[in-house]
Amino acid sequence: MTKTYQTGHPIWCAGCGHFGVQSALQDALKRSGVELHDTLVLAGIGCSGTVQNNIGAYGYHAMHGRVLPTAIGASLANPELTVIATGGDGDGYAIGGGHLMHGLKRNPNLLYLVMNNGVYGLTKGQDSPTREVSVSAPEEDPLDAMLLGLSILSTTFLARAITTRSEQLNELLLMGLKHAQEKKGMAFVEVLSPCVTYNDSYPRWMNKVYDVDADPDYDKHDRGRAFLDLQRLGEQSRIPIGLIYHGEHATLHTSLLSDIAPAHSLEEQYAESTRTHMENVLASYAV
Amino acid sequence: MKLDVHDSSPGVNPKLLRGKLREDLTVMVAGQGGDGSLTIIALVSRVLLQRRYFIYRSSNIASRIKGGHAAACLRATLKPRSNLGDHIDILVAFDIEAVEKASSRLAPGSVVIFDSSRDALPPGLIADNVVVLPVPFSRLAVRDMRRDLFKNSLGFGLLGRVIGLRDEEVESCLRSHFKKLSSTQLEPNIKALREGHGFADKVGITSSSSFLTLPPLESGPERMFISGNHATAMGFMAAGGRFFAGYPITPATDIMNFLNRNLPPVGGVVMQAEDEMASINLAIGAALTGVRAMTASSGPGIALMLESIGHCGSAEIPLVIVDCQRAGPSTGMPTKPEQSDINMLTRGGNGDYPRIVLAPGDPEECFYDSVLAINLAHRAQCPVIIALDAVCHDTNTVPRFDLERVAIDSGKRVSESELVKMDEYRRYQITEDGISPWAVPGMPEAMNLVTGNERNEWGRVTTEPEMRVMMVEKRSRKIETVKPQLPRAVEWGKESAATGIIAVGILGGVVTEACERMAEEGRYFHCHRPRTLWPVLQDTIDFVNAHERVYVVEQNEGAQVTGLLQSEGARAENIISILKYDGLQFSAAGLVKRIMEKEQRS
Repeated sequence: MTKTYQTGHPIWCAGCGHFGVQSALQDALKRSGVELHDTLVLAGIGCSGTVQNNIGAYGYHAMHGRVLPTAIGASLANPELTVIATGGDGDGYAIGGGHLMHGLKRNPNLLYLVMNNGVYGLTKGQDSPTREVSVSAPEEDPLDAMLLGLSILSTTFLARAITTRSEQLNELLLMGLKHAQEKKGMAFVEVLSPCVTYNDSYPRWMNKVYDVDADPDYDKHDRGRAFLDLQRLGEQSRIPIGLIYHGEHATLHTSLLSDIAPAHSLEEQYAESTRTHMENVLASYAV
Repeated sequence: MKLDVHDSSPGVNPKLLRGKLREDLTVMVAGQGGDGSLTIIALVSRVLLQRRYFIYRSSNIASRIKGGHAAACLRATLKPRSNLGDHIDILVAFDIEAVEKASSRLAPGSVVIFDSSRDALPPGLIADNVVVLPVPFSRLAVRDMRRDLFKNSLGFGLLGRVIGLRDEEVESCLRSHFKKLSSTQLEPNIKALREGHGFADKVGITSSSSFLTLPPLESGPERMFISGNHATAMGFMAAGGRFFAGYPITPATDIMNFLNRNLPPVGGVVMQAEDEMASINLAIGAALTGVRAMTASSGPGIALMLESIGHCGSAEIPLVIVDCQRAGPSTGMPTKPEQSDINMLTRGGNGDYPRIVLAPGDPEECFYDSVLAINLAHRAQCPVIIALDAVCHDTNTVPRFDLERVAIDSGKRVSESELVKMDEYRRYQITEDGISPWAVPGMPEAMNLVTGNERNEWGRVTTEPEMRVMMVEKRSRKIETVKPQLPRAVEWGKESAATGIIAVGILGGVVTEACERMAEEGRYFHCHRPRTLWPVLQDTIDFVNAHERVYVVEQNEGAQVTGLLQSEGARAENIISILKYDGLQFSAAGLVKRIMEKEQRS
């Protein structure tokens, strides 16, 4: 048995929502049956960007805002890995916002877990794109990443949970993880994970959430209706939680990976298997 | 000398058609973008390559899809060259602007084939010692083939005669160049080509009675005709590179296009990203899993990637980054060459981190340096940058690449069998050579944390001062470890000369030719071309300090190579910088003039 790193202890403030997210992720990993050594947890920069230290899997601390492209690159290069990208709302929706829509559009086989607390905690309290009561820009509406996800027609799994409802959170994370592991595309799960120090939204959010899972009239397979329902709930100052959308679409992996072999296993085989191809490419430039 | 040759023309003065033997020929075809200048030059290159000439090909285009002055040039020589000739020997011009732009470079006795469909050449534009053949290409093509585009094949036919090529070799070249066209598309081209020959007949230019004679050369070892971009991409692929992500940018897009065609058939992945930060981080993600990964861009894109390049240095991620340099700053001149990213590549980024910067000088070096780059990246677990200049888009004739010379070095990659023998696995283990054993995700019992934060050996974030110092120094030692593997400078010229010349990248070629000319005048120089820009190797510093005077020839305004050498110990008083930043390449004559001006002053 080779000794590896000792898992860390969370650095978060007492009462931080991220504790709940971490336990749910650990629970989902355990229940999915995946080995930790086949799991890569990538995290962005911010308070949430330390969760990878506490899991015991392979961990990667990404560049600020770039966790999604990095995770996509890793999962394409080694499709056998369970790839989990995590990060905060600042990391994912502000500095990394451009990558989010392209990630959703590509539908890669991975789980993207955003811990949304509406604030930049690590730099002590600045507005994030999801802040509802803005300090510096009172006329801006908060960004709703689920509506964004619905507007991109290749999304396949969109869910929102809140840390105070741990059972639902655990289930949604497990479903999302399986969605990725079963190579059905990108599971995008946003967890409302309040920051007790700089944006204590517990009381507000607990009163505002609306569980679409509990609504028999809500159709998670109907993108258009889901969009209208979310928009209407937003107008009523409600925050929809639950499995917002579940559909099917071709994944990035199916469209991009050749059926010869995944890139990661080729290094050793290279010399024999590609020699002829290489010679042909070379010959096309010969004079 | 203007020969008024129209359909009823009396013909060319037979005295001019004595077939002067040429061993060094520069041909330019110019017009508006979309006129097909590149096609004609590609066709002529093909024929001359078959005749065993060394061809150097370059184009001067505007950054737009169609229109704008566009010129394509080739130089055919008996020995390899990396620059165009001082003068243009033959110009095919589709408009007056093309003649205006080239007129000062026309050699005495040169031939201008001018498309006279719309306008006649204004008097006085061309010197009297230049032969002008006004030909209504466009009018003939539209009249007989119903499409302006066929003027290219027509022009190629006439041009073939002017340089003394046989009709059948010209036609077979056209057929093989357009082999992907259907016969209904090909036949009008053949017809146009023959029309070009017919026109030549009318004015008295035949294969045996032409302006020039190009003797066929002896056969020899197989060569390749390839650009630096394609050679670099090919080297990456040959060395097991299997993941590439990029974002379109001139002049780097060629690399992505090449790999898009050629990498997927061997299981590789090529992705066009949404921006350069995504490209490099996609590649980083692949690299984390042990796959050999690369990204490529040009100055503006590399500037966007810089934070991530530093991150690779810190987090010890092996990645190759290609910079196809173009004239900056900002958007600069996207289609014009420069060597002005050297400061950024060798010094740019936040914090101190290990990196290697290579500067290949021709497509052959691009190929082997690309192989080396990905091996070095894996050996030193750090970013390796390939700094290309005009070498990236210009096409040159080089010895065929030898796949037997390609070996894969994965450095300290840990195998599963090695891992089970280890009591513990620490990703950032402090080692004497600075390089830690590397296990990738998917391996049982080697779980580890990779981070750009400062960390301890286990990858756990720390700011503990002693550990910080140990980690910084460990990373720094890696470069010392791989230094013996870095490409050494190429030296040539007269070793005992008091005066030296230093140039990097493609400029080595023009320096060679300039020195040949100056040697004919009894002026001798010792030349030195560093192939590794960072770390600066001691040989280069010693070279500067061992000569009385060293000219550093650079294509930038800031004397970036000079500054780099000075900061690493080269004596400032020994160096005279020769700089060019007008977007044009050095010519041998231009460089001789610049050096001789300085020589006369010192």
